[in-house]
Amino acid sequence: MKLNPWTLILGMAIVTYLPRMLPMLVLSKRTIPETLAKWMSFIPVSIFSALIFSDIFFWSGDLTLDPLTNFKLIPSLLTACVAYYTKSLLISMVVGVTSLSLFIYLN
Amino acid sequence: MKRKDWQEGFKIIFPVMLGYIPLGLACGMLLYDSGFSISAILLMSLIVFAGAAQFMAASMVVIGSTAPTIILMVFFLNIRHLLMSSSLSGFFKKSSIPFILLFSHTLADEAYAINYNQFKNHKWTDYQALATNVLAYLTWIVSTTVGGFIGSALTIDITIMNYVLIAMFIALLINQLVSKLFVVVGLVAGLLSVGLMELLHHNIALVIAAILASLFGYLVDKTSEEKKSKEALL
Repeated sequence: MKLNPWTLILGMAIVTYLPRMLPMLVLSKRTIPETLAKWMSFIPVSIFSALIFSDIFFWSGDLTLDPLTNFKLIPSLLTACVAYYTKSLLISMVVGVTSLSLFIYLN
Repeated sequence: MKRKDWQEGFKIIFPVMLGYIPLGLACGMLLYDSGFSISAILLMSLIVFAGAAQFMAASMVVIGSTAPTIILMVFFLNIRHLLMSSSLSGFFKKSSIPFILLFSHTLADEAYAINYNQFKNHKWTDYQALATNVLAYLTWIVSTTVGGFIGSALTIDITIMNYVLIAMFIALLINQLVSKLFVVVGLVAGLLSVGLMELLHHNIALVIAAILASLFGYLVDKTSEEKKSKEALL
């Protein structure tokens, strides 16, 4: 490795800690306007959707909508269905990861 | 912190802990392969504690990126925590500043979703939330370090390892879809993130998509409430 791992880790720690800490420190001691609170109630869904969609629709870095090339698409649909009907995080994860593994290893 | 806080936290975070084991092992193996020593992996998990960022650091070191570039990318990837930290802040009005300083260090996507849901729909205290976070944190530290020890002795498909995280996110998302509007907001965020990602080829796309979609949700909600109150007046 060419770079110094310790400086890298320290830098990563700082830019990770500040966005986690500052809003909570500043906002928790005052009353948040209702408008802001209402807006923030949509944040969790938005973040998770963005994280998921921007991952599963890309295969080797390219936008790929063909489920026979992009092996993540069908397992994702399965995971979502299982999560909806079972409400279980663990069962959903097992179904998702197992079905993706099958897709990858059988091809 | 009482024993009960840990028990309550454990009950709710247990599936995430199980998910963190393969994820952490993969991350540790990847970091070791890219040249980090085991003590560096341990320190990184201790003071950074950000799965996606640690995965990214490993792959960027391999392609020869410099430290400032990696740190900048990690920062962009972590901007989403600004939103999470803001949205949890209302539940910590009575917490002390040292508590918040400690709690926020252990804030991560999975435990965030679980704690948010608990605060919203159940009786949940700041100490239970901290116990939940710390259990996930410890699992992550141990599994990434063990992953470092295993090192390159084993090769597992990285797409599958990464997908453990995504499958967990999918299940967490489905549980948050409590009304039609949330489904629509989720779809808007998802489509925007794909479009912006294709356009910008950068993780900042996620942050922009999340901000726009939540604003959209807010506006739709506000319009329908105004309509309702007008109808009530008539």
